[in-house]
Amino acid sequence: MLPADCSRRLVAELRDALDACAERQRQLERSLRVSRRLLRTWEPAETPAPQPTPAPETSGEAPSPESTPSPQDLKELELLTQALEKAVRVRKGISKTGERHKALSLKSGSAATSATTASAPSRASGQASCQVSETKPPRGIQQTVVPARGLPECRLLSVGDRTRMGRGSRATKPGPGPRDQQIPPSAALQAPEAFTLKEKGILLRLPMAYRKAASRNSRLWAQLSSTQTSDSVDAAATAKTQFLQKMQMTSGGPGSGLSAAAVEAEVGLLRTACSLLRRRMEEVLSADPADCMQEYRCLLTLEGLQAITEQCLHRLQELRAAVVGQQLGPWPVGRCPGASLPCGGGTDPIWSPQLLLYSSTQELQTLEALRLRVAMLDQQIHLEKVLMAELLPLVGTQGPHWLALCRAVHSLLCEGGERFLTVLRDEPAD
Amino acid sequence: MPAHWTKETALKGRGHRSLGRRWRRVSTRSVTGRGPSRDSTGAVIGRWDPAAAARNPRKVSASCMGRRRRRVDRGAAVGALPEAIAALSRTLPAGPSPEIFRRAKFDRPEAAPALWQLLFRVLSPLSANGASAPAAQEAQVRVVKSELHSQGYPRRALAQLPEDGSQGSRELLLALAWLLARGPLLERLLAQTRVRLGDEIPLCECEALARPGPPVPRVEADGPVDIRHLQWLMGKLRFQWRKLITSQQEQCALLGKIHSYTRGCHSDRSLGHLSVAETELLRDAEGGQQLLRRLESENVRLEAALHWRRQELVFWRWMDTVLGTCPPEASQPTFVPRIPERGAGEWELVARELQALQEELRGAAEPRRAAWEARVGGWGPEWSAVQRASREAVGLELAALQRAWERGGAAAQPHGPCRLVKSDAGASGGPGLRAAQVIEVLRSREACLEAVLCQLQRQCRQELARLAGALPGLIWILPPGR
Repeated sequence: MLPADCSRRLVAELRDALDACAERQRQLERSLRVSRRLLRTWEPAETPAPQPTPAPETSGEAPSPESTPSPQDLKELELLTQALEKAVRVRKGISKTGERHKALSLKSGSAATSATTASAPSRASGQASCQVSETKPPRGIQQTVVPARGLPECRLLSVGDRTRMGRGSRATKPGPGPRDQQIPPSAALQAPEAFTLKEKGILLRLPMAYRKAASRNSRLWAQLSSTQTSDSVDAAATAKTQFLQKMQMTSGGPGSGLSAAAVEAEVGLLRTACSLLRRRMEEVLSADPADCMQEYRCLLTLEGLQAITEQCLHRLQELRAAVVGQQLGPWPVGRCPGASLPCGGGTDPIWSPQLLLYSSTQELQTLEALRLRVAMLDQQIHLEKVLMAELLPLVGTQGPHWLALCRAVHSLLCEGGERFLTVLRDEPAD
Repeated sequence: MPAHWTKETALKGRGHRSLGRRWRRVSTRSVTGRGPSRDSTGAVIGRWDPAAAARNPRKVSASCMGRRRRRVDRGAAVGALPEAIAALSRTLPAGPSPEIFRRAKFDRPEAAPALWQLLFRVLSPLSANGASAPAAQEAQVRVVKSELHSQGYPRRALAQLPEDGSQGSRELLLALAWLLARGPLLERLLAQTRVRLGDEIPLCECEALARPGPPVPRVEADGPVDIRHLQWLMGKLRFQWRKLITSQQEQCALLGKIHSYTRGCHSDRSLGHLSVAETELLRDAEGGQQLLRRLESENVRLEAALHWRRQELVFWRWMDTVLGTCPPEASQPTFVPRIPERGAGEWELVARELQALQEELRGAAEPRRAAWEARVGGWGPEWSAVQRASREAVGLELAALQRAWERGGAAAQPHGPCRLVKSDAGASGGPGLRAAQVIEVLRSREACLEAVLCQLQRQCRQELARLAGALPGLIWILPPGR
């Protein structure tokens, strides 16, 4: 068992790391839900309604289904289903009989293709057939006029149906019934209702109100981010500095000008400094000096690095003294001091996002995977340092179960907890 | 009649009278309950009286209307201050009315609660957004005090204010002005609550770090734990990362699809396709209305911020006078805080690292110096010129290195959130970053970090080997794959 205070610190650190990861996962799940829902079939109530703008703009743009089907439409659709099912049945029957009907159909076909009259032998489903031919194809985008084949077609065909002429924007050339028998009627029925991004995504248009607001938004952000110097801006800047100076003077005591936040930021910088110095040192040590000159430069570099390191240490001591001596107060709670801030946060911040262009899904996936890996490595390095600081001293002092502890510490620190070593007792064989 | 009012307005001929009327007109909307004034509208200018104004609306409005018509000739100075303050409070979240500001100057107690709330929203925006219920007054006061103190607020009077939030409006006004003067506070607040229209990806983690999630209430492990518990936690963490990476890959695939399916739909040619938020706006009309509303209110705030920028000089001059009305502070420090472990731990880590580095450098440099001196001992004067040149060159290199962390190295790294746009390869001239470049940068950073981690693990291994070597009679078999 580990000592209590050590346990508490380590468990706290690990739980912090777990919480950070869980938070990312939560956000990701949220985005995934939204994206998945967008790629499925959209519910009828959610299909984008055509704009209340004049028809010419929306013809061919808005997806064909209206937002809410009227009762009449529903009734017609019912009849449509029946007619289609019948058509399929009849066609099956017809194709079985073969040549005989083919001859007949050719004759009627020629009449049908030129016909604008719905002078089909009227049947009970006459009305329905008109609607069938009109509403086919469901999408209203691709129409092919297939020469009528088979007897049922001439009944179903009714070019330029009178009753449906009014629906201007969807002036589709009526084709015969289901051209291929593969389209089951049910799917053809559902199709006018369903909207999938895959098939009709390119038809979407953003509403005008949104477009205006969005462009205004980006314009305003651009104005806000531009740092133009004009007289008023300069005057305001001077007024601000003067105000700050006056504030400082009227407050009791001189103060060192250091705040806890500033100290924390500097400590972060020093941590970055340490890693940069170490990297340079390793570069120098691993390089093989070819001649005297290079050797001399290596020496100078090492000594220079040493001097800088001493300066940093000195600064760190000063900061410590400032925190303790001037009672700068508690470190702000809730900020995780763990990972390093390579961007030195806050230097010339960018207020609104810039564009990042990617060309394929693989590229995007690589980018994201790398980004997460960098974040994970950052976290791992931080945890490694913390664990080293807490656990190595424990191994130094030999207590009960020292071997087990040693083995566990080795796996945690040296293998990232993934692998374990084996310890054998070397008994002399005698 | 306070002297500064006349200073501001005397130049314009109409004098203080007009300013009194102007204040009255602006503030009629925010009538607070007050007792009957001792005088009617016309005579007393210095004390604005809402009750009296409410009683004589006709007189007020008539005089105001007259004033308003003539105000155009007078120039901007008269209405400039309330206008500037109104712009400021439109930009801020939970911004109080200009009247509150005016009362705060005279340290009126009724102005205090609004200012406490404003400062709370400004200093800890996340807890205001995410909290289920607004924090209690005492909690707000405590958070504001500690946050201001940690940022280095110089005046100690703030720390002495009572926790029930009933007093100190002038001090709070000064604190707000101090925050505004120090940095781009408004821009930062606006950026934090920005409406995200595109699919964004943060390139660096500084935003994620600056905005920690809501603190999770957690029962700390009080007693000692077994090291196996730590191993279990590490394993859990590893698994969570793997899960995260797979989910992220799925999200990327979905995004790619959505972007391709909506190609050509966006009105903005440089974007070309819709983002998830925009497609969602089309799918769900109600959600779309909400988004539009948020967008429009953000536009209002942005315009107010730009307006404020143009007019803020007047505000700063006024704040100088506010500062003038404060009594000078005593020099007794009253804050005696404790330093919690975590902050101290961070310092410890860095100190330890630097010391270790120093040891290593000394160990490397000293023998080399000794060897060099031995070799170069008798060399001639032409050598010293070369030496000097080398020294200068190395000096420049090291100075550049120092600049890299002192400036934070921001120039080297792509920074900030980015909006993802799928475009076919070949758009090399346009604005924006290219994914390929970012991938390169990330790869090099990954290599760097892996090197650091390996080095740390090597260090541990050496240390453990040393400790274990003290105990003879054991054979340590390292795990395979090394």
